Amino acid sequence: MAVMSLSPLELKQLGPQHLGIIWNDGHNSLFNVRNLRLKCRCANCVDEWTREKLLDDNSVPLDVKPRKIESVGRYAIKVEWSDGHDAGIYTFEHLRAQCECPLCKSR
Amino acid sequence: MFFKSKSSALSAEAVLQKLKSVQDPDLNRDIVSLGFVKNLKIEGAKVCFQVELTTPACPVKDQLKQQCEEVVMSLEGVSKVEVEMTANVRGTAPQSNRIVLPTVKNVIAVASGKGGVGKSTVTINLSMALAAEGARVGLLDADIYGPSIPLMMGTTKEKPESREKRVIPIERDGVKMMSMGYLIPEGEPVVWRGPMVHGALTQFLSQVEWGELDYLLIDMPPGTGDAQLTISQSAPLAGAIIVTTPQEVSLIDARKGLKMFQNVKVPILGVVENMSGFVCGHCHEVTHVFRKGGGEKMAAEMGVAVLGSIPLDPQIAETSDLGTPIVVSHPNTQVAQSYRSIAREIAAKLSVLSLGGVSSFKPIEMEWQS
Repeated sequence: MAVMSLSPLELKQLGPQHLGIIWNDGHNSLFNVRNLRLKCRCANCVDEWTREKLLDDNSVPLDVKPRKIESVGRYAIKVEWSDGHDAGIYTFEHLRAQCECPLCKSR
Repeated sequence: MFFKSKSSALSAEAVLQKLKSVQDPDLNRDIVSLGFVKNLKIEGAKVCFQVELTTPACPVKDQLKQQCEEVVMSLEGVSKVEVEMTANVRGTAPQSNRIVLPTVKNVIAVASGKGGVGKSTVTINLSMALAAEGARVGLLDADIYGPSIPLMMGTTKEKPESREKRVIPIERDGVKMMSMGYLIPEGEPVVWRGPMVHGALTQFLSQVEWGELDYLLIDMPPGTGDAQLTISQSAPLAGAIIVTTPQEVSLIDARKGLKMFQNVKVPILGVVENMSGFVCGHCHEVTHVFRKGGGEKMAAEMGVAVLGSIPLDPQIAETSDLGTPIVVSHPNTQVAQSYRSIAREIAAKLSVLSLGGVSSFKPIEMEWQS
């Protein structure tokens, strides 16, 4: 029961377009928020059956940023974006896999 | 200092020192450093204090009380010890600024994957058992299409009142209840698509006036669909209980139910094996109608605990149909005792989670500054 599962301890805004996350395993993540928007896996952005990406990256404003970020249950976060999109749920695993810190990027 | 008593030769320090030898076996720490000892008073040779546990349904309450009395009695100059056992249930998720169920300390989902394994019966009796221990308990029937709580609780004629757009739950034997069954005419089917189910459950979570509760049990419908997703996304779940019968065809779905909660990171409190054997009323021979040991097998496979098992007893079906749950109507039966023991097990597991930290969970809410 006491299996340690990955979850964020703290979210921090770092400047106008970067998000930092401190995880419960000690890792510190860094994200460009527009890249996160482009990685949305909701049914409008990615075809549910074929997994083909439906979102045209060029349609997303360059200065897109979250308006609000909140928990979904105990396993994910939901982001309300400045371009009006709010359907995406980012599970903690998916989020972590997108980490852009130098260490994760070099892997 | 608070504990100091001038007139006595006995010191509060000496009493506390002694009480440090009393360990809470679930939390693995002594009751003094856990902060359980309260209102210590020494009047001459008499020592009085309270032990505030993390749940009124503590499985070792009597044992702890006895140990406290014994160690303090062993102090020189003590002729009488009065220990009062109290409880303050801790929540597993911070309650402040929670929009959904802010006054509920622990929300527990009771699920099975498969229908017909006695989930509602188990949920009802567990909630009655927790209430019998002195906890403040709520019961939410999340089975929108097939609500059975009103019948099984003998409350089919009740209609909930509403006050200032909040619905007041129906109450019975100290358990507050809400069910779709209270809102629709008896015998009428609910013919709804998924989004309506989502809407109804969201309202149950946000618009029912539950008041202060230690435990809210959610009787989940079978399956892993709309209702399960809504509850695991919207309710601050402290843990889930999986109910199964012992045979493989039930275990298949129970495993899926369990896996679903693992996927959404809800701690699994354990497995309850229902209908685990029929005890003959004449010769007391046990017949394993639905085979044997399935619950244990699944729990071992999935690395979770077995909380207990409930035998197949015609009295359970009878009391359920009559709306008089067996825990309350036949408290001295083996079945009722099994329920009481499982309820204490659940309460202990939640106490460990709330103090343990490993699974403690902080909801995220963040506004982006532009």
